[in-house]
Amino acid sequence: MLFNSLEFAIFFPVVTGIFFLLSQRWRVHWLLMASCIFYMAFIPAYILILFVTILIDYFAGIYLERVRQEYRKPLLWMSILSTCAVLFIFKYFNFFTDSFVGLAGLFGWHLPRHVASIILPIGLSFHTFQSLSYVIEVYHGKQKAEHNLVVYATYVMFFPQLVAGPIERPQNLLHQFREWHEFNYTNVTDGLKRMAWGFFKKLVVADRLALYVNDVYSAPRNYTGLQLTIASVFFAYQIYCDFSGYSDIAIGAAQVLGFRLIENFKTPYYALSISEFWQRWHISLSTWFKDYLYIPLGGNRVSRSRHIINLLITFGLSGLWHGANWTYVVWGLLNGTYLVTGFLTKQWRDRFFAAIGLPERTAMRRAIMLATTFTLTTFAWILFRARSMGDAAYVFTHLASNWDLHRLATEQFYMRQFPVAVLSILVLEIGQRLDKTIRIPSIMGALPMPARWTLYAGFVMVVVMFGVYQQMQFIYFQF
Amino acid sequence: MKWGTEQISVAKAREPVLDPLTAVRRLAGFFALLVALAFVTNVVIAHGLKQIRTSSFGAWNQVMQGKVNADVIITGSSRATYHYDPRVIQGGTGHTTFNLGRVGSQTDVQVAVLKAYLEHNKKPQLIVHNLDAFSLVTTSKVYEPAQYVPYLDDPELYQSMRQIDPEVIKSRYIPLYGYVVEDMNFTWILGVKALFGYSPKQNYFQGFFPRDKEWTDEFEKFKAGNPRGMSFAVEPEGIEALQELIQLCQRGGIRLIFVYSPEYSEMQSLTINRAEIFTRLRELAVANEVPLLDYSAWKYNGDREYFYNSQHLNAAGAALFSDDVAKRLKTYLASQSTTSEASPQQAESK
Repeated sequence: MLFNSLEFAIFFPVVTGIFFLLSQRWRVHWLLMASCIFYMAFIPAYILILFVTILIDYFAGIYLERVRQEYRKPLLWMSILSTCAVLFIFKYFNFFTDSFVGLAGLFGWHLPRHVASIILPIGLSFHTFQSLSYVIEVYHGKQKAEHNLVVYATYVMFFPQLVAGPIERPQNLLHQFREWHEFNYTNVTDGLKRMAWGFFKKLVVADRLALYVNDVYSAPRNYTGLQLTIASVFFAYQIYCDFSGYSDIAIGAAQVLGFRLIENFKTPYYALSISEFWQRWHISLSTWFKDYLYIPLGGNRVSRSRHIINLLITFGLSGLWHGANWTYVVWGLLNGTYLVTGFLTKQWRDRFFAAIGLPERTAMRRAIMLATTFTLTTFAWILFRARSMGDAAYVFTHLASNWDLHRLATEQFYMRQFPVAVLSILVLEIGQRLDKTIRIPSIMGALPMPARWTLYAGFVMVVVMFGVYQQMQFIYFQF
Repeated sequence: MKWGTEQISVAKAREPVLDPLTAVRRLAGFFALLVALAFVTNVVIAHGLKQIRTSSFGAWNQVMQGKVNADVIITGSSRATYHYDPRVIQGGTGHTTFNLGRVGSQTDVQVAVLKAYLEHNKKPQLIVHNLDAFSLVTTSKVYEPAQYVPYLDDPELYQSMRQIDPEVIKSRYIPLYGYVVEDMNFTWILGVKALFGYSPKQNYFQGFFPRDKEWTDEFEKFKAGNPRGMSFAVEPEGIEALQELIQLCQRGGIRLIFVYSPEYSEMQSLTINRAEIFTRLRELAVANEVPLLDYSAWKYNGDREYFYNSQHLNAAGAALFSDDVAKRLKTYLASQSTTSEASPQQAESK
């Protein structure tokens, strides 16, 4: 079920209302049932795959606590490999067989191509990683195994974050299913406000920009350099608003029910370096890779060359996590390369800025760093959005050519849509800026109720009137 | 924008904890306010759109408000809208004329529009129905549906539109749905502006929209994408729609004439099943004694001076065509007998 659908507009109030009417004993059952309905709205049969993952890790968690020490590691690996096997079959089978056949062809060994027609279960990578996080934490003794299957299944399937995160850690979420969540007006209204902001990002900003981006990236050779550049900048905002909008709605929906999910974004485009960007972007995934891959590989407490390799492995796999396509792998490796270049050139850059009279913390230097980080990130997003490496290469090489100011619109995106698109980005930026500086909720809280309601209702009407309702899936659902 | 931990503490400090019943009442009150706001906005937009006197909205408003009452009515798709200048036809025939063509429409929608016209206006003497290669195709999605939304409270129009697209029920009963969900053109802004006296540019003249455009590269793109040409569906429901139009005229005692208006010649040869389509159209015309004027062999069909793409004449082409069709209609209106089929060449020979 999409958050931006009429079905969800009915589903959510019903689920919430009944949740608060039930006793604690039945609440978790209710949430599990609601989550199943939510997931089955996509492709019902795929819930069985989810159940397989749940059962593997549920029993793995219990036996990790029971078995003798020497069997724990093999059991952990068995659990990890079985869970990943599901992910591999559904997400990567075609990619790896195709790549293998392609590679064999380079050596003159021509193998037939077998493409299995498998539809990727929605959000598979998210709940796989959430499940893996549970068994790893149980293995490390940082989390007790959950013996109640309903509670564990609800932890994996909790509908607000089921299909696109945030990827929760058991320490944060699991215990909350055993707690009593009082109906709290402040919690509910704050959650709804957060959802409204998420809908603004998704419907008003992301989905409108998507009209332009989809046109251009579906056939980049039909568009001018200026259109390619606009589409690439639009995509940077589209993917941010699409994904962080989803996270806002997920966190807000959970908050309405009294649950607290981890933050997933902290205004990433305000980052002054690529390293900082990754501390602000998709935080739940970045920390997952950091804790379960980068640090076990040795992190930065190894030789410089090994550190570089660790970074590239982490980012390469992070790219592959996003999608079974070389564009994602190269996107990940490019970000890894940015980071490596960043720390290798840090001293040189500091000396350069000092020499031109721009020491750290000056506004001008910060502006240059911010603009550089945004540009590098946007450049990398081209790989993320392009359908193939060929398309990405075309976009990279044609961004600066043929800037025809008379050809801006596309088939779906008429000229009259530009002011709305640009204005929505401005509102987004102003909203984020004001929230950082003057704390909008504090000011709103001080207003009398009629004024507050007028402003809230006005904001909702802006979302309603300027939103795009083509039921576009959230980009990260495909991962 | 975050409403996380710190905001909750701010909010908690702001007001005392509400008991659940008061809290639910307050939430229900706010949502009731939103729903009321949506209804009011919907009414305001519809009211504004109905005020417009210019553009396609102005033409449509004239129809729905019963202000047309013409002797001759042109129906059809965009090819009707762009090809027939009622001012020329009116001058040539001496009969008041109005162009009821709807851009992006198929026969089923054209019939719905004609029914709405007949309900609100006096019966015309003659209906000139423009035919296309896609005349026997049914509508999968109503084009620019927001234009119809202000008038969905009209039972005749609503029922006709609902038969074509059952989803229209949402536009009828969910406030703002037809303006924001189904429409990507911000039509609602036109409605709001109209309330303050701002009207769109006047580009429709008695329902006719002259296209002051030169030949574009659309046809070249089409050819590149369809080097072997393309077929248009012949759907039983499409044939039924055309029969319904015929019966509507027969029941009302309105004379009907089919016109296949000019089409760029190269496109004609790219329409793979053109012969099949014409066979069906002729069969319908002959069986129901409806004259068919076929402009497939019009002498300007190969001249890009008069077209802006393969399907549409530009303003210059429309002027030539309207003048020609006016002469034929004058003869036809004057005559008592009808010819089952006549080409412009045949008419000229007469």
